[in-house]
Amino acid sequence: MNALERILSALGDPAPQGSTGRDGIPCLEIEAKDARRTIARLKSACGFDTNTFVTAIDRFPAEPRFELLWQFRSLVHGDRVRVRARLDAGPEGPRAPSIADLFPGAAYSERECFDMFGIVFEGHAGLKRLLMPEEYDHFPLRKDFPHQGIEPDRLYREWDRRRHEKPAGSAT
Amino acid sequence: MGSLKPAGPSPSEGGFFATRADWLVNWGRKNSLWPMPLGLSCCGIELMAMIGPKFDIARFGAEAARFSPRQCDVLIVAGTLTWKMAEACRTIYDQMPDPKWVIAMGVCSSSGGMYDSYAVVQGVDMLMPVDVYVPGCPPRPDAVIDALIKLQKKIARERPVELLLSGDNDDEGAGTRRFSYPPNHAVPTTRSHEVLPPDAGPRG
Amino acid sequence: MTESLTLEYEPGTVSGDDPLHGELMHLNVGPQHPATHGVLRLKITLDGETIREVEPVVGYLHRGKEKTCETLGWRRFFVHTDRLDYVQPLTNNCAYAMALEELAGLEIPERGQVIRVLLMELSRIASHLIYLGTTGIDLGAVTMFFFCFNEREKIYELLDAYTGHRMNNTYVRIGGVYADVEESVQDAVTGFLETFPAKVDEFEKMLTGNRIWYDRNRDVGVLTRDDALAWSLSGPNLRGSGVELDLRRAEPYCGYEAYDFDVPVGTIGDCYDRYLVRVEEMRQSARICRQAIDKLGKTRGGEFLAEDRRFVLPPKSEVRQSMEELIHQFKIVTDMALPAGEAYGSIESSKGELGFLVASDGTSHPLRCHIRAPSLMNVQAIPHLARGRLLSDLVAIIGSLDFVMGEVDR
Repeated sequence: MNALERILSALGDPAPQGSTGRDGIPCLEIEAKDARRTIARLKSACGFDTNTFVTAIDRFPAEPRFELLWQFRSLVHGDRVRVRARLDAGPEGPRAPSIADLFPGAAYSERECFDMFGIVFEGHAGLKRLLMPEEYDHFPLRKDFPHQGIEPDRLYREWDRRRHEKPAGSAT
Repeated sequence: MGSLKPAGPSPSEGGFFATRADWLVNWGRKNSLWPMPLGLSCCGIELMAMIGPKFDIARFGAEAARFSPRQCDVLIVAGTLTWKMAEACRTIYDQMPDPKWVIAMGVCSSSGGMYDSYAVVQGVDMLMPVDVYVPGCPPRPDAVIDALIKLQKKIARERPVELLLSGDNDDEGAGTRRFSYPPNHAVPTTRSHEVLPPDAGPRG
Repeated sequence: MTESLTLEYEPGTVSGDDPLHGELMHLNVGPQHPATHGVLRLKITLDGETIREVEPVVGYLHRGKEKTCETLGWRRFFVHTDRLDYVQPLTNNCAYAMALEELAGLEIPERGQVIRVLLMELSRIASHLIYLGTTGIDLGAVTMFFFCFNEREKIYELLDAYTGHRMNNTYVRIGGVYADVEESVQDAVTGFLETFPAKVDEFEKMLTGNRIWYDRNRDVGVLTRDDALAWSLSGPNLRGSGVELDLRRAEPYCGYEAYDFDVPVGTIGDCYDRYLVRVEEMRQSARICRQAIDKLGKTRGGEFLAEDRRFVLPPKSEVRQSMEELIHQFKIVTDMALPAGEAYGSIESSKGELGFLVASDGTSHPLRCHIRAPSLMNVQAIPHLARGRLLSDLVAIIGSLDFVMGEVDR
């Protein structure tokens, strides 16, 4: 049996929708609320022991807006699986369950998704920005964020102003 | 652009002793330019190749690439400067004692390079005055050595002793002020208010 | 997070007014530091010389590459892929091109694949030379830096002769490579490969049996099999821990199934094992390069670029004479669209599994290009390996994990 069939039969009921992508990697479509359960079963029953990436696609202006993608690889079987879930931008922004306790290697990827898209991962210990400065206000990879940014030097200007406001006697 | 002012006194104000002393001081400074390599990205690898055996920047006196800014003369900004790193870069520049010079190596530090994005400083001269710009992505080590030689020629034109003797050194940095044109500061910095008029907008 | 750490001592083991214990020191190994691994900041909490907690702060080289791909388009992003893992630019080019070719459903002719393999393996040698040189100089073996950069200069000369630039070459296109390898370049590569294995032996003679190198690296930063997989590590970091996974063997691409090479695997998973794995990989890469040169001799005159005019530019001579080719040229340069869908293409780079997830909605405007950077996972593993060890072990661990900040921050 091919990889997709093996995964679906090992996952058992209720089986998510599955297909094989253009690159030969099986893809599963699930709901965001089932993500933790499905991924835990992928780890325990299907032999997927390493997380390749956690990322998102902003499908603005389609709703639900964000599509979260996880990809795993199995050392034993030698195949991969990609799991996708659509997220609603709820009243406080998009939320998704974190898998950083199951796969510690996913911690930074989830922080990056939070940094770039604003997706909050519930259960992630230490969810903060990874690539942009911590006080940065915007989420750069969203489609409505301009490529050249919104006031990119704002934080630097604040720092420079604070440096000038130091009391006399300390070095400038 | 602000007003064009020549740096330092005009040549006729110097004396024989001052010019000879200037020559000596400049000779010492230009032949012992200890670089502070701020290797940020790909240009950093070419910087390492320049310090390496084939191109050997030690031939030019730039032997000691000390990584502490307190002991360095020339800051070589090699690579892309992002706004997150800008604070650290400016601090390093401020920590260097006078006389100091800056070489912007590569297009990323000269003008932002191929990155006109939300995170990249469009040229390190937004934060600090730059003496020599080296284009290239990355520039060959030969090109950076050429920049070093140009910097040496620029240093040879300075007149530190003459400025000292003429008393025109009431604030720090005047002895080595060497800009004929004000630096291209879009973001006000500690030094820029000295060279730009207070009502100058971004980009002079 | 770090302020809540307290020191626990058994009653009676530490005198109450012992000045050496009871105070933690916060040390900032700032974004600029001489361990030439780029702009990485480490916030370290120290108890004397022992590391209690280390928190890497990345993002000081974040240039917005994934956003840039969406703005520029598929073809113009090739120059940006060089600057990801900038010690092996051609490897990144190849990985990106392969992801696009998966999405487009394009086959590469054999000579194009052979040239790509040659470029990727030369880049792997160059990358491991950087690892050896910079880790050597970090741990005090200053001569290694100069020796390794001397070899790297020879590779630069080869690439300069072939591509016209020493690094950041951008010589790979969708469908193959930009131009063919000439006889003179082939001979130059053969000449380099004749002297290179002796140089690797010289490096080993200096370091492998060296007491100081052994003591600094043996049993430092031990990574078990399960930990390596859990932390998403790949490449020499994973193989040093005894996991025999090499994507060139497990999921062959670019014709790697036809090459004869060994995959070195470590036992304990410490820094010394990772060092041995990388040195042996340099030898194996030289072996693959020799086979690639032989294949180049056999496929002389073959096509090195696919013919699909939806994605591959026609030769300039044809563009000047044929209207159809002119239209193809125009369409590709201004408005090249990939079929709708998504594809993930990954290769075995010298840092681990380098992958590109490319998603297209059928227009010429890319929907998403995610770069799966192995170096990000390598940085993530630093706290796990360094906790409880001495500060000087941290330098050895950082060197042996071998990451490049251009890839971490993208």
